[in-house]
Amino acid sequence: MAPDLTIVTTAVALPFVAAALSPLLYRVLGERTGYAGAVVAATSFGLLATGGNGYGTVGAPWVPALDVGIRFTVDGWGLLFALLASGIGVLVFVYSAEYMHGEEALARYYAALLAFMGSILGVALASDLVFVFLFWELTSLCSFVLIGHHTDDAESRYSARMAMVVTVGGGLCLLAGLLMLAAAARGALGGVTFDLTAMIANDEAMRASLRESGLFVPALGLIVAAAAAKSAQVPLHFWLPNAMVAPTPVSAFLHSATMVKVGVYFLGRVRPLLMSPEWVWLVATLGLLTMTVGALLAVAATDTKELLAYSTASHLGLMVAGFGLDIVYGGEAGAFHLLNHALFKAPLFLVAGIVAHEAGTRNLENLGGLWRELPITAAITGVTALSMAGIPPLNGFYSKELLFEATYEVAHEAGGLAWLYPAVATLASVLTVVYSVKFLALFFGERRAPTADVHRPPVALVGPPAVLAVAAVVVSVAPQLAVDAVVQGAVDATATGEARLEVGLPTHLSPPVAMSAVAVFGGAAAYPLRERLAAGVRRGVGAPIPVRPSGWYDWIVSTTEATSARFGPAVHNGLLRTYVGWVAAAGSLLALAGFAAAGGSLGIDGAGVPLAVAVVLGVATLAGVAVATAASHVSGVLTLSILGFMLAIFFILASAPDLALTQLVVETLVLLIFLLVLQRLPSFYSEVRPLAIARDAGVSVLVGAMAFVAVLSTIPGPDAAPTSVATYYTEQAVPGGGGTNVVNVILVDFRAFDTLGELLVVTIAAIAILVLVTMRTRGEVAETEAEEGPIPDGGDSP
Amino acid sequence: MTVPIVLVVSISLFLQGHNLPGGGFIGGVLTTAAFVLIYVAYNLDFLESGVLGREVETGTSIFEHRTVTAYRRMLLAGLVVVLGSGFGGMIIGDPFLTQGYVHLDGIPIYHEVELASALVFDLGVYLVVVGSLLTIVSVVSGE
Repeated sequence: MAPDLTIVTTAVALPFVAAALSPLLYRVLGERTGYAGAVVAATSFGLLATGGNGYGTVGAPWVPALDVGIRFTVDGWGLLFALLASGIGVLVFVYSAEYMHGEEALARYYAALLAFMGSILGVALASDLVFVFLFWELTSLCSFVLIGHHTDDAESRYSARMAMVVTVGGGLCLLAGLLMLAAAARGALGGVTFDLTAMIANDEAMRASLRESGLFVPALGLIVAAAAAKSAQVPLHFWLPNAMVAPTPVSAFLHSATMVKVGVYFLGRVRPLLMSPEWVWLVATLGLLTMTVGALLAVAATDTKELLAYSTASHLGLMVAGFGLDIVYGGEAGAFHLLNHALFKAPLFLVAGIVAHEAGTRNLENLGGLWRELPITAAITGVTALSMAGIPPLNGFYSKELLFEATYEVAHEAGGLAWLYPAVATLASVLTVVYSVKFLALFFGERRAPTADVHRPPVALVGPPAVLAVAAVVVSVAPQLAVDAVVQGAVDATATGEARLEVGLPTHLSPPVAMSAVAVFGGAAAYPLRERLAAGVRRGVGAPIPVRPSGWYDWIVSTTEATSARFGPAVHNGLLRTYVGWVAAAGSLLALAGFAAAGGSLGIDGAGVPLAVAVVLGVATLAGVAVATAASHVSGVLTLSILGFMLAIFFILASAPDLALTQLVVETLVLLIFLLVLQRLPSFYSEVRPLAIARDAGVSVLVGAMAFVAVLSTIPGPDAAPTSVATYYTEQAVPGGGGTNVVNVILVDFRAFDTLGELLVVTIAAIAILVLVTMRTRGEVAETEAEEGPIPDGGDSP
Repeated sequence: MTVPIVLVVSISLFLQGHNLPGGGFIGGVLTTAAFVLIYVAYNLDFLESGVLGREVETGTSIFEHRTVTAYRRMLLAGLVVVLGSGFGGMIIGDPFLTQGYVHLDGIPIYHEVELASALVFDLGVYLVVVGSLLTIVSVVSGE
């Protein structure tokens, strides 16, 4: 049974509506806006949980010609992600209401948070590639606003920009990848479509079509790059720890539970579509590498949120690795860990927020044994941190065990280098245990706390992580229950074949169980060595640029800035005439390159030209030469109008009276305007430099060549039949438009929208000239060349 | 004085545009040319002092000049007319910018007159062209 379009659309649109209203809500409710946000999130959650009415695709057309539509697919995978986002959303909004007490710019904060939640729901449920991309970029945008919440803090701005550049850069890769999919779908599905669900349903045809056009590896690479940027995979992981300057609820919501999982989510989504040896090689390796590097960096972290950030990258690596392996267990590991990670990492972030709030520091060195002051928080942390470490029987154990099983099976089958997969997975898990225990040491062991009193946190702060911890315990105790409720559907949607997820505690010693044992006991054994390990990692991080991706980022950004600082003044040196030169030359070059790339031949047939036309054009050419060699402005301008009037005659000969009329009046006007400004110009040219003449001649030849080629290649030949559009206009002018002047009917009736656009151009030209002249009187631009004003809109006339 | 003749021609070009060569754009440019002719022959204040017989405020900058303000208003009015004619059709359920026409018979002298809504749109075009070009010309020449 198909889900109801209205319900799904409402669930996605509601947060956006609330976001638009949040400044108003904030004015009415003040700091209690957070609770309103929680209500919105709960409504979306409720709509999706109850109103789904089963799985299926629903939609309404938007651009039927391109088969772009408002299409939503409700399946297990999308629903799991959407419920997770809205469910955690409820808790985060409640937490925010207390945590953000007394902060600035709360209206913007809640608007961005709400819009973000809507975008996540959109990504999770959208089935149309256009909408997937749109919502994907919206999450990056909201993340930018939320990371940069403290706008007066330079670090906050730097981090927000970094996250923006990396994730939006990834988004561009996604756009290219999605367009390749759409191009392949044209071959595979027999028509233009952006429907991802249809593509996945015909995955074999899609793969064949992609391979045939040679787009398979590029599309795969681009989509994986986009997911890696979003989900903080090596080497693009560096933005995630920086993003921790955001308020803690944002870190818990965006940078652990939802936004960073969008990449993983999409990999899971396209997994059945793109599964291939290349996919396994690329995605599994990427995931395991990130898992290890993230865990190493987490061990070396000194700040609670930094530790959690690197740990998040590491766990995202686990999910990516799971989806990368072409085996049933792999997809199961990815889908199940998506749920488990959200259940233990979001509360850990919220706990870090409580500790920072109550103890006033986030430095791991200065904190320890806090369970005396914060017993409930300590209990929450105990459950969730051990779950993060993968200690049985907590929920994190089950999904990690699935990954071990997947890597072991793959290695067992492939042999050779594939044994690195289980080895690396185990190593990363050893490190995971080390940093989990390190985080746990906040609450247990020797008491180290700042001198200031540590208060009991209010219920609104403890409640949300407690709810998530309880959920984690429920999944731990009865994993099969959670699997049957939501995870199985997700596994089905991401699996490449049949998959039936069975989880439970192991009853006998198998290789994956042994790997878990190695991880737990190895971690316990390695814990005392953590300081030496951390020192080693920090030496690596301090190394010069080649091994430090954030160094690359800084280098690229600073080099780009320096280049544009040099490039800008060279191109825009404040002289309007050089602007014109650059624009004309660059535009013509691009157009010529476009014609060259498109190919095609130019047919030149000079035989059919009537004598009259030849004479008129000959005079015009002579006039053009005379303009270029004229000794003064006055003679130049007057000769130029000869050229213009010759063109008008040519139009008359070519039976285009409207064009001729326009040309005549424009020519007259331009001549008059020239007369107005002539008195301001020097009456004779100053001495001319040969270099400048050569440059100007070059630009002129380029523009001329462009116009020549453009006209020749776009107009039909003299003997060609009128196009269907032309025939339609001619036939319909009287019955459809009520006028016998076809040109005018086209302008004001058939294509009135174009004319409206041109009027706006004319208006903008007028405004631009007003501004230029105003600025000139303010002395900002010294060289406002008056003669450049009227020409552009004289030229855009029909 | 050739200017009135030019103006009459321009208006007739504008009005006949739907069926014969002409239209809002051509009419507008020709009207502009007529006014520019006045500037070249006299000056910016001639319209006010010579034609309308009003006192010319002196000392104001070109941007606050009464004539220039009038041109700017004309530009705005043109945009309003264009958009209004576009939205007008939407009231009776047509898509944006849909045009229609009616034939009226039995009118004295003309016998048959065609009223096209496109003429309103064209009027907007005319106003925008005249307003913007004259704004440009007068501001630039004022410099």
